Amino acid sequence: MTALLATILQDQPLQNATSPYMTNATIWHHMSDALNQSFYRVVTLLIAILPGLLAFFVALVLFTLIGMVVSAILRRALTWLRFDDRIAKMRGDANWTPSSTPIAIVARVSFWANVLLGLIIGVSAFDTSYATAAVLPISLLPYLTRSVGAILLLIAGNIVARFLARSVLIGAVNAQLQYARFLALGVKWMVLVLTAAMVLEHLEIGGAVVELAFGILFGGIVLTLALAVGLGSRDLVSRSLESRVERVGEHTAESAPSPAPHAESIQHF
Amino acid sequence: MATAHSLPVTAEPTTTGGARLLILLAAMPDEHLQEVYAQLGQVFSPSDVLIAAPETIAPSANGSLRVITAPQSRPSWVLTAADFANAHELAVAHSAEAVLLLGPEANTLQPSTLTALADAVLTAPNDLAVPGYDLSPRAGLVNSAILFPVTRALFATRPRYPLAVDMAFSARMAARMANAAQRFLRMNQGEAQLWPLNEAAVAGFTVTEVMAGPRKFAQPADPDLNKILPLLAGSLFADVEAKAAFWQRPRQAPPARAMQHQSQAADGASDTAAMMQAFRLAYTNLQEIWSLVLPPNALLGLKRLSLLEASDFRMPDNLWARIVYDFLLAWRLRTINRGHLLGALVPLYLAWVASHFHTTENGVTPEQHIEAVAAAFEAEKPYLVSRWRWPDRFNP
Repeated sequence: MTALLATILQDQPLQNATSPYMTNATIWHHMSDALNQSFYRVVTLLIAILPGLLAFFVALVLFTLIGMVVSAILRRALTWLRFDDRIAKMRGDANWTPSSTPIAIVARVSFWANVLLGLIIGVSAFDTSYATAAVLPISLLPYLTRSVGAILLLIAGNIVARFLARSVLIGAVNAQLQYARFLALGVKWMVLVLTAAMVLEHLEIGGAVVELAFGILFGGIVLTLALAVGLGSRDLVSRSLESRVERVGEHTAESAPSPAPHAESIQHF
Repeated sequence: MATAHSLPVTAEPTTTGGARLLILLAAMPDEHLQEVYAQLGQVFSPSDVLIAAPETIAPSANGSLRVITAPQSRPSWVLTAADFANAHELAVAHSAEAVLLLGPEANTLQPSTLTALADAVLTAPNDLAVPGYDLSPRAGLVNSAILFPVTRALFATRPRYPLAVDMAFSARMAARMANAAQRFLRMNQGEAQLWPLNEAAVAGFTVTEVMAGPRKFAQPADPDLNKILPLLAGSLFADVEAKAAFWQRPRQAPPARAMQHQSQAADGASDTAAMMQAFRLAYTNLQEIWSLVLPPNALLGLKRLSLLEASDFRMPDNLWARIVYDFLLAWRLRTINRGHLLGALVPLYLAWVASHFHTTENGVTPEQHIEAVAAAFEAEKPYLVSRWRWPDRFNP
């Protein structure tokens, strides 16, 4: 027993004496290892992504250059063929006339089609290189690859929303509806909500929650508009119905003498 | 009773089956057609004229008139591209020296107008003769507000009614109009409107106006101002755009028209209230769209107009001229969608009509006011030319 206690008492100071040095060395070693491993992982990740990124940019730049060349060739060829004059002869003074010449439109469309093609091919290349790199996390890329379509949807939705809102606003003002602005705003937000839902679905974000939220929002807007229009134009509808009934009455009473016109009506044409 | 009018003799006799004057009638009801036949039988010698009508109905009043079937064209309230193409085709086929085109409701024209139109192109060196109708103060308001002032200011033509309803023209004018019509016919747009005065001005042809009496005008099948005004204004704007190289050159303004028509002021008090209300509603809602088209000065003018009491509601003539020119520029530059642009013009036009009625209720005859409006359009033409050439220049 005495021997055991003596051994314990002898060992303890020894341990206390060597512990600080040993612990510091181990932590530093571990930290160094961890940092090295993290750095290695980052570099590995970067190396895994880099070919994809490089492929993306190469495809984009290459197709942009191809687009420029194709556009220039088309511009020259169509100018030589007097494409503008031919289209002008065919079109006459049609109501729809774009702001640029037909040659400029064809050249521009061909250029941007090539850029879009480069973008799609670049994203596909990035996708392929990413799929082969097993070390990469699989959460980011689907959004990247679908982002092109989502951006296009968003732009188209905004354009359509603005166009429809203006159409409704002008039509409602010319129909002398007092709530014209409200109606236009409702239409605009309906299209924007629809666009947002389509974009989110395209990106596969939210799933059923988005559908549900969209249904509630869309339904709410439609109901609000229906109530607003219904309540606001109650008098208009009743007047319209009354005049219809009166017209039917006039048609049926053929023998009745027609009232003399009391005032000359305005003829705009 | 009117007697048969013998057309002046020319050096070259007409060919067999031909006629010196081809009269093309627009589609109209049978009873109207018979009335027109009766009038034509009274004023023209049957050997001189050949009548072409869409539906061949034997003239009951004067059986000696020669009537042929004209190619079918879609019934319209004004003459269309198809009518002009048909007129030229028939004129060439029958070696006619001139063509008299009569629109719907031509039975309400005075017989003297028919002979005056025919004589204007057969005896005088005119290529185009158009009637100057005795318009009611409440009729032809789009014409008075936009079509006449723009045509007169830009193309330096005098006639008061540029819309193609009735007219007589020479063979070379017929060929030019047919050429203009072909562009629309190729696109299957036979019902498109043409602007004969503009065509004649660009071609350097001689134009004359024949004073006609009152006439009843056919109205569009769907007389919705919101549809027809954009259609007419769009057609005129497109024609102005196509002929920009011509009208940008300075031209001598036509001499002031003699005031033949001194019609009384229109009693439009009940209608102006609705028009002013439409304008004020548009002012509160369409500012965003108008601000894309109109410069700040015009917007300020509209703001002042919207604040005026009903009794003081007057749109200055130069403000209206600038508004129309700014819309014409926006049409050219495609600042906004063209359908939206012309839709946004409708409330401003209604404001002009209300202002016109108010002006004419205070001692100014309608014709005097319309003449003043046309003069304002002429005075503001340099503004249009300047902005047409340099649209990005600072414009207060």
